Amino acid sequence: MVKRLYDIVLLFKEYVVVSFCLLVSILLLALNDTPQIRVLRSYAVVGVGLLQNAVSFLPNYFSLSQENAALRTMNLALADEVSRLREGKLENLRLRQMLELKQRGEHRYIAANVIGKNLQLLRNTITLDAGEQEGVRVSMPIVSESGLVGKIISTSGHYAIGQILLNRDLRVSAKVQRSRVDGVVRWDGGTTLQLREVARTMDVQQGDLVVTSEYSAYYPEGTRIGVVSRAEPIPGSLFLSVEVAPSVDFTRLEEVFVLVHQPDSARIALEHRSR
Amino acid sequence: MPRPAADILLSILVLVLQTTVVRFLAIQGIVPDIVLLWVITIAVRRGQIPATIAGFLLGLALDLISGPDGVLGLTALTKTVGGFLAGYFYNENKVLQTMGGYQILLITALITLIHNLLYFFVFLQGSGLGWAAMMALYGIPATAYTTAIAVLPMFAYARKVLA
Repeated sequence: MVKRLYDIVLLFKEYVVVSFCLLVSILLLALNDTPQIRVLRSYAVVGVGLLQNAVSFLPNYFSLSQENAALRTMNLALADEVSRLREGKLENLRLRQMLELKQRGEHRYIAANVIGKNLQLLRNTITLDAGEQEGVRVSMPIVSESGLVGKIISTSGHYAIGQILLNRDLRVSAKVQRSRVDGVVRWDGGTTLQLREVARTMDVQQGDLVVTSEYSAYYPEGTRIGVVSRAEPIPGSLFLSVEVAPSVDFTRLEEVFVLVHQPDSARIALEHRSR
Repeated sequence: MPRPAADILLSILVLVLQTTVVRFLAIQGIVPDIVLLWVITIAVRRGQIPATIAGFLLGLALDLISGPDGVLGLTALTKTVGGFLAGYFYNENKVLQTMGGYQILLITALITLIHNLLYFFVFLQGSGLGWAAMMALYGIPATAYTTAIAVLPMFAYARKVLA
């Protein structure tokens, strides 16, 4: 068997050598983040998106009744939540008027299906079937009914790629909702997220809800990120080790919304200048 | 000196020349690609595998030398393709005839054109240049210039100086 394999390799040695060299070259090309490679990536997104879109409808037929039941249940829960949120909004409006707080603008949502995703890598992404033609732009946040999913990093005409929370390159400015303790959420490759930069004297407890902070220029504040699953001091350090279980179940993620929330360029420019 | 060692030394020399002296030969920003010319020479003299490997390693070296101005892996990719395709013109019994005749010019023109098509297709992405403009402005002039330089080794072989 090994000898036969060796004979085959020997027979096609020119092609083996050229394939190896081309593979290494392409891997090196993929490491670049130059404008040229970004354009090529968007072509690749279109190609892969068309392919994935062509086959993505197949499993839906088999799980249609199951999906309908789940949607009915979710609809019921959402109707109940909408009713409670309306009450909350009215109360909030009254309180804001009292405190003369600045009213935040309403956001527009773009619905998109997840037509491709990878969860096994260190830089995990999802592919969406909505792109620039639908109004999706780079850096827009992606959310689902469960909370923050990630942000858009690349777009083409009708497709977009989103960096999800389970991606080592993504950082989200966050805070603990109960105690208002600030931190930065990132992922180190495990099953949970990490809330970093939290001093050991801060009040963080298991079960606390972690949401996006108003310090973030990219994400609207108050978007749910996850729940603290463990918080304990790091031995020999001034910081806490805070693990956060993400609210979104990425393995079951099928539909998302892209939030039409462009980063405030004036604010980012000012912050960059002052650094 | 053993043949592989001489080839390695010449490869380093060509690399040094390409990154230092050759840029002074630029006409309207177009420079001849003597590294590709050397890869084609290896292909015609030594065969497809040495040329493919030489193309990859020399391209990678150029990518590393060019630093943040270049696209890492692009030159390695295009020169690998160039070396591999040029290897199809290898004929052990006709090395001197090919190197010393007009054939080397035709091979250089063809391989350089394919190389430049691939290189500028990637390198000029996002620049707004179309295919025709890209080839007219960069691809064809660079191919012509490199082919013109190939006359030097052709004459050298024709006089059996390098043979």
